[in-house]
Amino acid sequence: MMETIEYTDRGQFFSGHVACAGCVEALSLRVILNTVGKDAVAVVPPSCTAVICGSYPHSAANIPVFHTTLESGAASASGVKRALVAQGKNDTTVLCLAGDGGTYDIGLQALSSAAERNEDILYVCFDNEGYMNTGGQKSSSTPLSAVTGSTPAGKTTRKKNMVEILAAHRIPYIATASPSDLNDMEAKVKKAKGLRGTKVLIVLIPCLPGWGVADNSAVKVARLAVETGVFPLFEVEGGIDYKMNVTTRSRPVQEYLSTQKRYKHLTAENIATLQADVDDDWQRLVNRCG
Amino acid sequence: MNKPQSPLWTNSTSEARKTGTWRSALPDYQNIPSPCLGACPVDGEIATWLRQVTQIDHYGAWLTLMENNPFPAIAGRICHHPCQTACNRVQLDETVGICSLERFVGDKAITEGWSIPKPEVERTESIAIIGGGPAGLSAAYQLRRRGYQVTIYESREQLGGLLRYGIPAYRLDNSIVDAEVGRITDLGVKVHLGVEIMNSAALAKLKEDYSAVFLATGASRPKALPGLDYSQPYVQDSADFLAITNGGKTCELGENLLVIGGGSAAMDVARTARRLGRHVTVLTLESDENLPAQRTEVDEAREENVEFICGAMLKDVNSTKDGLILTCARVDFQPGAAKGQFTTTQIEGSEFELRVDAIIPAIGQDADLARWQDVVPGDKGLIDTDQSWRTQTEGIFAAGDVASMARFVTEAVGQAKHAAVAIARYVSPDEAKDPPPLLAEAKFNVINTAYHSPDARHNQENLKVEVRLQSFDEVQIALSAEQAIAEAGRCFSCGTCIDCDNCYLYCPDMAISKLEGGGYVVNLDFCKGCGLCVAECPTGSIHMQEDLPS
Repeated sequence: MMETIEYTDRGQFFSGHVACAGCVEALSLRVILNTVGKDAVAVVPPSCTAVICGSYPHSAANIPVFHTTLESGAASASGVKRALVAQGKNDTTVLCLAGDGGTYDIGLQALSSAAERNEDILYVCFDNEGYMNTGGQKSSSTPLSAVTGSTPAGKTTRKKNMVEILAAHRIPYIATASPSDLNDMEAKVKKAKGLRGTKVLIVLIPCLPGWGVADNSAVKVARLAVETGVFPLFEVEGGIDYKMNVTTRSRPVQEYLSTQKRYKHLTAENIATLQADVDDDWQRLVNRCG
Repeated sequence: MNKPQSPLWTNSTSEARKTGTWRSALPDYQNIPSPCLGACPVDGEIATWLRQVTQIDHYGAWLTLMENNPFPAIAGRICHHPCQTACNRVQLDETVGICSLERFVGDKAITEGWSIPKPEVERTESIAIIGGGPAGLSAAYQLRRRGYQVTIYESREQLGGLLRYGIPAYRLDNSIVDAEVGRITDLGVKVHLGVEIMNSAALAKLKEDYSAVFLATGASRPKALPGLDYSQPYVQDSADFLAITNGGKTCELGENLLVIGGGSAAMDVARTARRLGRHVTVLTLESDENLPAQRTEVDEAREENVEFICGAMLKDVNSTKDGLILTCARVDFQPGAAKGQFTTTQIEGSEFELRVDAIIPAIGQDADLARWQDVVPGDKGLIDTDQSWRTQTEGIFAAGDVASMARFVTEAVGQAKHAAVAIARYVSPDEAKDPPPLLAEAKFNVINTAYHSPDARHNQENLKVEVRLQSFDEVQIALSAEQAIAEAGRCFSCGTCIDCDNCYLYCPDMAISKLEGGGYVVNLDFCKGCGLCVAECPTGSIHMQEDLPS
C-alpha cells in the first residue's frame, strides 16, 4: 500500500506569496508553519524566506514575523523568546527561519552564541547551498564542484559540515529534513517543538534557478539527494546520539548530479571524487550511529 | 486580536496578490485508461475495483466488475488475463495478480449471496437469444438489466455452454457456473432448454416474434483432422470427451491416450484423462514455446505427468489387436499472419512410432453456419457482422465464437456486451450509446514509483500434484482476504485518481482544494503552473495543459 502524506494544513501559510513557481522552500514553510501552529513567532533574516513571507503590507504567514539583519537571526530570536517569557508566554514557539548564508556564513557567530547559551529557539535553515536570492553566489554551504555566480568553474572546496559544528555545542536536537519526505519533516518539527533549548533543523532546498532544475522537479532532486546519500536524513540528540532515518543508499551520486545544471561541466574524475566523499561521509555517519 | 495596530505592520495576507497570472500551464485532472483496461476483453474498470478491494469494499468492487461482466468468479478462474500482460507494474517488479483478485471478489459475492439489482424500468421490447453460453448469457444479462424482455433458446439440457460442458471441474467447478448463471436467470430471463433453432425458417419465425434476435451459438462443430477416421471406436473428439467427463461419466477409452492439439481444450482433455488414471501423451504441431494454451495450463499439465511431443504430426494409424500403432513425423511449424493460420513442413526422415489405445483430437471447433445460410450469410467460417455485431439481416445480431475468431470466454462476454448495447439501441433508439473510444493509456513513465515500493506478488497456491490426480478438486487455491487486500494494494491505479492528497499537500502555493466527496479543484488565482502536483502524482492522473489567455 502507498504511504500517504499526513501533515494537516491549518491555514498557517497563505497563497499569493512570491516564491518561484515550484519552490520547495515555500512547500517546506507550509509544512513547518502548519505543524508549529498558531502560538508562534518567526524571526527572519534576509533570505528567500524574507521575500516569501511578505513584502509590506502583505504577509504570507499567519503568525507574527520579525525581519532582522543577516548577522543576527539567532540573537534576535533569542531576544524575542526572552521577551515572550518575560510576558509569561512561556509556551510560544520562536522560530528562526534563515537561509544557508544566514546560517553557515554571516549568521554563524550569532547561532553559535545562541547554541552555546542553549537559547530556547527552533532554528530552521533552508539550505539551498548558496546566496540564491541575490543572483546565486557561493556560500560556505555550496558543495565541491558546484557552479555558482561567483564560482563559474565550480567551487574548489567542500561544503561546510554544519551538523558537526552544531553537535559540538551539545544542543538538544539537530536534524536534517527533505521536501521529498514531508512525513519525516513534520515529525521532526513536532519533536523539536516539544523540546526546550536550541533545536536546529537543516532542510535541503533544491533551488530551481540557482541549481538549474526544472520547475516541477525540486522534490525529485531532493529525493535523489536522500536516495544517493548526498543528503542523509538523520537526527542528533544532545550532540552525541546520532540516528539515521533512512539507512540505505539505493543510487549512485551521478543520478543526483545529472539532474542539475550546476554540475553539467563535471568530468568523470569530478564525479568519482564526489562519490568518494559521499561514501566517506556516509560511513562516518553510520559509525557514529553505532 | 482587536488591539490597535501600528500602521507599519502588515495589514493583509498575501492572498491579495494573484500569482496565478504568472502561469503558462495549468494542471488538469483527467483520469485516463490504465493499460489493463485497454487490454481487458470486457473493458473492465480494473483500477477502480482493485482500489475498492483495498478499501475492503467488496460489494462495491463486485458491482464495478458486474458492470461489464456478469461472471467474475468464472473469469477469475479461466480468463486468459491479457490485463496482466499489459500491467505497468512489471517494470517495477511483477504484474498485479488481477485474475486471482477477480476470483476473490467473485467468490465473495457467491458466498454472500449477492444478487443483481432488478431493472429500474420494464420495457416491452423482446429479444430472443439463441445459445446459452458465455456470449448468450452476457447479452441476456446486459439486456435484461436495462429492462428488456429476454428469452434464451439453448439446445442442451442446461445453460452455460462451454463453461459447463467444456471446462473441467478442477479449473471451473459447475457450482460456480450454477451460481453466476443463476443470478442472471433470477433477473427474470425466460429460458427454453433442449430447443434448437434448426434452420432458416425457424430463425425467420423468431425474427417475426421478437423485436431482435441475437445469435450466440458458439463454435460447436469439431474441426476434423484430415486422414483420421472419426467413425472408429478408438477416436473420440475432445468436445464429446469433455462433455461426457464433465457430466460425471467416466471415459470408455483405453489406458494409453493420445491427445492431438496444443490449445486449452487439449490441456483440459489431457489433465482430465490423467485424473481418470490414464497415461496421456499430447502431440502438437507447434513447438513448446508456441503452444496456444496458457502457459500455466501447460506447466500444470507437465506437473501432472502429461507427456508432450511438440513439433510433430500424426501421419498414419494402424489398428492392431494390441492397440494402435501410430506413425508420426517431426514438422517445422511456422505461424501465419492471422491467429489460427500456420504452415508446416515435414522434416525428412524424422518419422517415429507411438503405441496408444485411443486418440482424442482437440484441434479446435467451427461454427455451424449452414443451417441459417438463407437468413444470415457468412463466409470464412463465421457469420458476417459489422463493428456493432449486426449481421447483414436487419434485427439479427451475432457475437462470440459464431462471429469471431477471438476464441476466449471473456472475449465472447465482451463482444456480447457491445452487441447488447447495439441491440438495445436498435429496438429503442433513445438508449445510451456505447461510450466513446478510450483515450491514450497511462504509460509506466507517468507513474511516480517513489510511492510504490517493490513488493513481490501474492500468488495463489496450487493443490499438491498427488492430491490433484486423485480428484477433480480445484487446482488453484483462492487468496485469503489478507492476501487479496495486500495484492490489490500493489496496483499503481495507473491514470486513476485515488484521492491520496499528494497534489493538495505538495502544492507550494496552496492552490489546490479538496472537493466534498472526493476529487480536487485548482484555484486559478494562485496556481503558478509549476507542475509539482503532476510530478508527484503517484498514479499519473493529472496532466499539464497549456494555459493561454482566453
